[in-house]
Amino acid sequence: MDVAAPEDTSEHIHDTELARIVRVNEEIKGIVATAFKINLMALNAIFLAKRAGHAARGFGVLSNELRRFAQDLTREMTQLREMTANTVSTVTGVVQQKRLNGILDEAVKRCPEPVSGEARVQQRGHEQLADKQGCLSALDKRLRRSLDDTAQLVELGGVLARSAKIEAAYGGNFSASLMQVSSDFGDVICLIQESLERLRHLRLT
Amino acid sequence: MKHARCIFDEGEHQWFAIVRDPDKPGYIIDTNEYIIRSGAELLLCDPGGIEVFPAVFSALCQVCDPQALKAVFASHQDPDIVSSLALWLEFNPDLKCYTSRLWTSFLPHFGGCAETFKSIPDEGIEIDLGSTTLHALPAHYLHSSGNFHLYDPKAKILFSGDVGAAMLPEGQDDLFVEDFDQHIRYAEGFHKRWMGSEKAKNQWCDRVAMLDVDMLCPQHGAIYRGKDVHRFIDWFRELEVGVASN
Repeated sequence: MDVAAPEDTSEHIHDTELARIVRVNEEIKGIVATAFKINLMALNAIFLAKRAGHAARGFGVLSNELRRFAQDLTREMTQLREMTANTVSTVTGVVQQKRLNGILDEAVKRCPEPVSGEARVQQRGHEQLADKQGCLSALDKRLRRSLDDTAQLVELGGVLARSAKIEAAYGGNFSASLMQVSSDFGDVICLIQESLERLRHLRLT
Repeated sequence: MKHARCIFDEGEHQWFAIVRDPDKPGYIIDTNEYIIRSGAELLLCDPGGIEVFPAVFSALCQVCDPQALKAVFASHQDPDIVSSLALWLEFNPDLKCYTSRLWTSFLPHFGGCAETFKSIPDEGIEIDLGSTTLHALPAHYLHSSGNFHLYDPKAKILFSGDVGAAMLPEGQDDLFVEDFDQHIRYAEGFHKRWMGSEKAKNQWCDRVAMLDVDMLCPQHGAIYRGKDVHRFIDWFRELEVGVASN
């Protein structure tokens, strides 16, 4: 293709509703992928704690908590993904309606004489747009709430990661590997928190 | 809601099929759209009509970043193929549209400007996408007078537009053709009426029979794979086309 791939494609995309929802969707896809890593880490933590046995009893309790947290996060992420998919669909509907209304408004503007029923047709188009925008606002609110819930859940994950680090220190011979697992866990939690922070600044409407 | 399903995956090189829209109104023909990804670039085959744009756009978003979409390929000029063009351009005004030279002054009626359209000469062209090269193959008069199919030699996939299409009854939602004899009954009437030239049909059969094709992906209905690809070519060769009861 003779179109050079730009360094940052987003520069080439106008900041429309579609562009905004795409950014939200991509950010959420990133969080979902990261949440999947947490699942694997939690499993790894449980196996490590089992191998460490008595020395890592405290860590073992925490690793079970981490596993539960990972499952809750995955469930939350599934809901979030479905919600975003619906939102993408609604935004595209709004764009579609706006374009149709624009064409209709332009046609009416160009008519030298008033056309019978034109006001009704225009009004219907604008009502349909208002309906779709109303749906979008409702979806936006639900998405925000869901993101707040996720942020609270991730906060708990952060607490668990810090506690796991403390317990790892008492892990005897396994202390180093337990510490590594806890640090990795903490890093991933930080990544998700950064993504959530970015999402807070992205509005759909 | 429509969903994108991966039909070919070699890491950096993928094909997705966006098929079956349960929410689509019954009076609109169901369409398949195909996404080809090579590295950081995407191309969308026959992006579809204005009415299905929300479903197609959101399905694409499930599996890819739409900001990577560099071009669309319009096999011909029909509304179910490319009337959504203006909406794709709303998202990315730099998007290119590959289409037959016959249609580059007609398709702007759906949207776009002179820079949007990449004119394909009658003999076809090669289209670079990421690290792969796709071949636009002539399929004129099958059914449109300026008609192209898209062949990916790396994936061994042929996007065949309306050739291979089947008007499947409600509830037959398989992605792939599972029973050729059963399936082809739903393709027969369509091909007899929509394919306008015996000569063009035979040329197409000769050309495609020479290619290495694992999957033949039509714009309506299910995908032919494996032995069914050549079964379809043989069936098509034998079929009398350009038939209408006047």
